[in-house]
Order: sequence, then C-alpha cells, then structure tokens
Amino acid sequence: MTALLEVVHVTKRFGGNAVVDDVTLAVQAGEAVGLIGANGAGKTTLFRMIAGELPTTSGEVRFDGAVPPRRPEARAMLGIARTFQLVELFEGLTVLDHLLVALQAHERQQGPLRDLVWRGSTTPEERARCEEALELCGLHDLADAPATALSLGERRGVELARALAPGPRLLLADEPSSGLDPDEATALAATIGRVRTETGLAVLLVEHDLATVAAVAERVIAMDAGRVIAEGEFGSVVANPLVVQSWLGRTA
Amino acid sequence: MAEFFSFALLSVPYGCAFSLVAVGLVLTYRATGVFNFGFAAEAYAAAVTYAELYQHGVNRSVAAILVVLVFAPIFGATLDFAFFSRVPPGNRTAKTVMALGIMVILPQLVLLGIGENTVLGPPTPFGTQGLVGYVGSVPFDGQQVCQLAATAVVLTVLAIALRTRRFGLPVRAAVESPKLLELSGVDSRWVLRAAWMVSTALAALAGVLYSAGEAQVQYVDYNLVLVAAIAAAALGGLRSLPLAALGGILLGVIWGVVQGYVPPDTVWFVALVPSLPFFVLLLLLVFNPTFRHLEDSTDPMAAVEPPPPAPALARRPPVMDRTIRMLRWPLLGIAVVAVVVLVPHKWTNSLTAGASLSIIFLSITLLTGLAGQLSLAQALFAGIGAFTTAQLSNNFGVPILIAALGGALVAGVGGWLAALPALRLRGLPVALLTLCLALLGDNLLFNTSWIVGSSNGINVARPSSFFGVNFSSYDSEGFFVLCVVVMVAVAGVVNLLLHGTTGRALTAVDASPVGAASGGVPVRRLTISVFILSAAIAGLGGAFYAMTYGNVDPTTFNSLYGPVFLVVVVTVGASTVEGAITAGMAYALINQAFTYLPVHVGGTQLGAASLTIVLLSVGAFTYASHPEGIFEYVKRRIATTVFRAVEHHQHRGPVPAAVEEHV
Repeated sequence: MTALLEVVHVTKRFGGNAVVDDVTLAVQAGEAVGLIGANGAGKTTLFRMIAGELPTTSGEVRFDGAVPPRRPEARAMLGIARTFQLVELFEGLTVLDHLLVALQAHERQQGPLRDLVWRGSTTPEERARCEEALELCGLHDLADAPATALSLGERRGVELARALAPGPRLLLADEPSSGLDPDEATALAATIGRVRTETGLAVLLVEHDLATVAAVAERVIAMDAGRVIAEGEFGSVVANPLVVQSWLGRTA
Repeated sequence: MAEFFSFALLSVPYGCAFSLVAVGLVLTYRATGVFNFGFAAEAYAAAVTYAELYQHGVNRSVAAILVVLVFAPIFGATLDFAFFSRVPPGNRTAKTVMALGIMVILPQLVLLGIGENTVLGPPTPFGTQGLVGYVGSVPFDGQQVCQLAATAVVLTVLAIALRTRRFGLPVRAAVESPKLLELSGVDSRWVLRAAWMVSTALAALAGVLYSAGEAQVQYVDYNLVLVAAIAAAALGGLRSLPLAALGGILLGVIWGVVQGYVPPDTVWFVALVPSLPFFVLLLLLVFNPTFRHLEDSTDPMAAVEPPPPAPALARRPPVMDRTIRMLRWPLLGIAVVAVVVLVPHKWTNSLTAGASLSIIFLSITLLTGLAGQLSLAQALFAGIGAFTTAQLSNNFGVPILIAALGGALVAGVGGWLAALPALRLRGLPVALLTLCLALLGDNLLFNTSWIVGSSNGINVARPSSFFGVNFSSYDSEGFFVLCVVVMVAVAGVVNLLLHGTTGRALTAVDASPVGAASGGVPVRRLTISVFILSAAIAGLGGAFYAMTYGNVDPTTFNSLYGPVFLVVVVTVGASTVEGAITAGMAYALINQAFTYLPVHVGGTQLGAASLTIVLLSVGAFTYASHPEGIFEYVKRRIATTVFRAVEHHQHRGPVPAAVEEHV
C-alpha cells in the first residue's frame, strides 16, 4: 500500500551546511508519527519542505503517491494542513473568520468573483462546518471572539481548528505544546487524539514534550544533525542509546 | 578610452550626492527602522534655505554651516522627539506612513514659504567657483571639488565615529534591538535621536552641495536624487553603509557614462537615460532576495512590544455600523439634491472633481486599507486611465463613457504588470517598487508625445447628454450626478470586497502570509486580483477627473501625486469607503475654499493646493495611534458620545460595556 506521505532521500543545504541530510520516512493514512530530536536536528526544516515552504536541495516529497505542487497553498489544497511553533494567527479577524478563510480557500469560494456575483460572505453550510471544527477543538464558545484576545492555549486551539476546518488528510503539527503548561499540553494532546479518532486524520508531530509525543504518536522517528537516527515505538526510540546521546550528550 | 574616463570622472561629484543620501538613508533605516522617504524633501528644504540665506546677504560658507550643522540637526531631533520616538519600534507601517508624510508636507511648506518666486541655484559653499585644475585632461571646477572633498571628509568622519565606543557601538547595538540596549543601561532614545540628527545633516549637506551651480532649485530634481540614492542603498541591501556609499558613486559614474554616450535629442536620451536609476532599483527589488524579508523583525525583544491596534472595522461599536448603514443612503441623497438645488455653479465643478478624486481614492482603500500594500503608483494608474480615455475618444471616435471603461481596462493591465514584481514583496519594498514605477511612468509614458500630446496635454470631452440631461457645460449638475453615481457604484464594489471573502482573506494574508498560505489561501491570485482591480478603479477615476476639467496633461497625475494621494487617504481613513469619499471631497472642496484666502497666505492656485495637501496630510503623524484614520477616529468618538448620551438619557444608568470598550 502506498503511504500517504513519503519523504524520499530528502536533503536540504544552506550554503555548505546540510540541515536535513538524506532523510527518508513515511506516514500511512490515519497514522500518527512523532518526530523528535534536539534543537537544530532539522525537524522544522523538514516540516517546511513537506509543507512546501522550502524547496528540497535533493530528494523528493510525495503525497498520495505523487509529487505535489511546490507552493504551500497548493499543498494545503491537496489536504496537507499545518500548525506553527510560533502561533500564526490573523490579527483583526475573529476565531470563526480564521476557519472560514481556510475553508473557503479550500472550497475555491474565495475572491472578488464570489463577492461581486454572489455577495454574502458566508453560507449556512460553511458556518456549520466551521462550528463543527470549533466544537471538535472545544472552542465553540469563542467563535465570535477576536483571535488576539485569547490565551496562548486557546490560540493554539484556533490554529488547530483552522487547520482542521477544510478536512485535511495530513496534519503537520509543529511543537503544539510549546509555551503551554502541563495541563494545557495534556488537553491539547487529548484534542489531537480525539480529532484522529473522529476524522481518521494522519498526524506528523514535531515535539519536544515527550509526554505529548507518547500520548499522540503510534510511531516515533528521532533525528540528529539532519539525519534519522532511530525509528520505532516510543519506548524503544527514547531508550535508544543514539537518541539518548544526541539529547543528553552522553550514553545511557 | 579617454572619453570614457572623462565621462566617468565628471560623474563622480554627482555620485557623491547619491552617496551622501544613500548613507543617510541606510543610517536612519538601520538605526531607527524608519525608511526616510522625506530625505529628498529635507535636502530640498535645506537647499532652499541655503539659497535664501545667501540671497539675503549671509556669507555662503556661514549659510552652509548654519543649514547643515545647526538647522538640519535641530530639525532631525525635532522629528524624532515629536513624532518617531513615540511610535512602537515594531510598527513599521506607521513609520513608513509618517516618513511619507514628511515627503508630502515639507516640499509644500517650502512652496508656501517661497510662493511663486524662483529660487536660483546658489554658489558652492566653499572655495572658488571657477576652474581648479585637471585630472588628466578632465577639468574640475570649484563646485565639483567641493562636492568631492565634503563627501570624502563626511564619510571618513562617519566611518570613524561608527567605530567609536561612545557613539558607534550604541548605534550598532540600537540597530539590532533598542530594547536590549536599554536593558544594558544605555538610553537608546538619545542614540536614535543622534542617528536622526546625523542623517538629517547628511540630507542637508547633499541638498546644499547639489543645489550649488544649478540654474534653479526644484523639488523634482531632489526626488530623482532620492531614487538614485535608494538604488545605491539597495546595492548594499539597505544594510551596509560602505556599500551604500560606493553604490552611490558607482551609480553616478554609470549614469554619467551612459548619458555621455547616448546621442542627445533621441528618445533614449530623453526617456531612458533619466530612468536608469529606476531600472537599477527595480531590478534590485525584484531579484535581490534581501528585500523579500526586509520587514521581518530581527529584534529578539520584538515580542515584548504590544500588538498594533486592531483595524477600524474591528473596533467599531456594532450600533455605529448599523447607524451608518441606515443613514448613508438618505444622507447621500440629501447631499446630491442639495448640490443640484442650492450650491452655486462655480462650486459644482469642485464637487464633481471631488467625486472623481473619491473614485481614485477608493482604489487606495482597496489596495492599502484592504490588502495592506502601500502603493505610491495610484496617480500613475489614474493617468494611464485618463490618457487612454482621451486617446480612444479623440483619435478612435469611441464614445467617451466607453472610452473611460477602456481607460480602466488599460490601467488594470498596468496594475497586473505592477503586481507581478510585487508578488514576492511586502511592506516597504512594495512602496519603493511602486515609487519606482511611478517615476518610470513619468519618464516613459507621460513624456511621450504620442501618448500625452503636447505639453498642454489633450482635451477630454464630457458626454454630451444622457436621457436628455446635459453633461457638457463646465458647471453641469448632470455630470456631477453622473460622477456621484459612478462613485457610489465603485464604493459598492469596494464595500462588497471589504466585507466579503476577499476582505477576510486579504486581512489574513496581511496579518500572516505564511499562516494564510498554510490555510490554502491563494495569496498570489488574490494579490494580483486586487492590484488589477485597484489600478482599474484608479484609471476610471482618472478618466472622470480628466472629463471634469476637460483636459489631462503630463503633470495632472505625475509621480509626485502618488504619495500625496496615499498620505491623504491614509490620514483621513483608508479602511472604509466613507474615508476615501470624505478624503476626495475634502481635497477638492478645501482646495476651492483656500482660493478665497488673501494672496499672501496662499490665494494663488499653488498656495491653495499646497495648503490643502498640508492640511489633509498632517494627520499622517498620528497614524501610530490612529491607524484607522482621523475621520474614522472622530466619527467613532462622536458616535460613542452620542450613544452614551442616549443611553444615559434612556436608562439613567452606566454606559454599556459594548460601547465603552470601543472608545
């Protein structure tokens, strides 16, 4: 069976420095994979190449068996959604607006033509789908709140809901627990788990918080200095001497 | 080869002026985050002051020293103290708008000061005027030697100063993060103020040196120096002072050599040679990757700054929105009927011009208010629309209203061409790009006789009549009503986009391009669409403006008007259609009203236009605290006061939170 996401011998160099070095990995449909590694391991760079924000130096990214178009918006249209390590929200828009932006873009219902010909900016169906995503993320009460007025935990929830609104097939979650307290991180992990159960979404999770990785991921890939150094179940990967050495600077 | 060296050597003094301005631009930009579009205006003001002091008998050297070392630093410190130091470091848009405010207001203040007098070029501030000597076989006069010597001395002193612990180290640290500098115990305000004083003195020095020996001191010449200096600064990515200095001299030399070899009296000499710096800047903006990330903050303390205020539409009390929706049509109807019935004929044409200008200004609402792009080329698009209309009507017999639509279409194509290089840029680089395009438009389009006719321009007829209503007379109420109908239709289109999927998506792109792209928003397609629509609207407005006055000439929409239009609309309110319409009407009516003032205050046409621009632009300095515009702010204050009074009268209770929180 073809994997939903395949990263095949991907390398990324900045100048002479290989930040991602010959990485190959795969994520099956509906699977949750954790990507761990110390700072500078190349996780976020790999993410950005998968999302289409950076070109690869060599190798290729395949989605659903084919090489997707290069630009991030085109990959989002194929069903690759992502959240960011530093939350990227839209100042001046409400929570509901955030979801509408993504949903209408995905449905190709956005732009001057729709506004001038059909007027009305939101249909009842669009609002219902957005509210469904908000419900899934536990943000139903905040639909009309300005996004900038929210706490960090809620802002991360809005980002997740925005990613989920168009019904993606793969979620790239970049350190979703960053800046959250342990309770908020646990709640966010539970939300991602619930979303997976209800939608069958595949998740590739970059995370430093191992508790979140353990709660969400079925399989873990460890990176160090741009290379994959271990892969397998959570327990076996975090016990791997190479992983321990890369993380703590000494063998177990 | 000797000829080549002759051209090159003679151009070095010109390159010195570019160098000084380029270094000043980079110094201000790197130290304070302000890209000083007002640099040319400051240089011009300094040159005029120097010339006037000399005319009034002050010794030329003393006059130059006073202007460069006393007046200019005081002016720079005042700008920082009164305006720029009050803007949060991260609010780059506010800084750009305020710098554009200087660019627009200062030359008008100078014009008001000198009236219609011609300012003759003064002599060089130091040394002899005549021949000093030869380099090889190339003669150098006193002015050229003075330019070379002054530039060498100033750049050397600056290079040494920037290496000192007392001045240079804090300036270089402030470039990275003023907040971190403060945490280290250094008062960054004084460092930034010193940078302003030095850079303004550099502008003044460039102005004084450049004016010497010129037949006449004119602002347009300084604007050309500014763009050449921007190109020089861009060679160093707006980061490196030595590269900016070298770039200025290099650009001066290349320009001089090209000018020397291109035969005079050819289209190449008249149109393309003066455009050389614009082409260089255009290429750098498009192909130098530095400019794609120029606005990305590198300050590690940026996150501690409060976020900028929310857009006006998000801050309005809902009851105010409902009231505006309810009242706008009756008010518009009453206004139109009042104009037709009550207003004297000579004011009708001003109101018609106001309606046409409002259409042009609505294009800025779309591009700046909605998409957050600062375009300085809207006057260019208006001009393209006006000249196309005139040509289609006069030379091809196309009915004038159809020709106006053709003008809008051609301007839209111009918008598409402008959008292509702008796609990868945001913020300041877009402003630079559009300034560059506007200047190219001046040289390549509005300087071409088969497009603009003679220097007096082309006549543009009004539609003769429509359903029996006469449009053709100068003070025709029928044509006024037609303009208002077109204005309302355009406002309706812009309003639909503002409140529709386009507005929401463009707000998202403006707030976080990467977040919007990750949501699938077609950033490129939307950006191109908005550029095209905005240019087409400006073109339509330009066509009606030309019909209003019955003529369009090369100066009607020259590049100087682009910044004026932008600053006026942003000052009054770029985020709502009411803001653009108010700005358009106010521009035309205040201009007309000022013509009644006594001559010595500004009774000449020139004075009235300058006073109008100053009055409507001065609010640019409040942009940081009121990004929604003065009109929107005042409207909200009045509405809140009224609602508070009504609530108090009805309930004798406290003001509802929904109203209070929006004050």
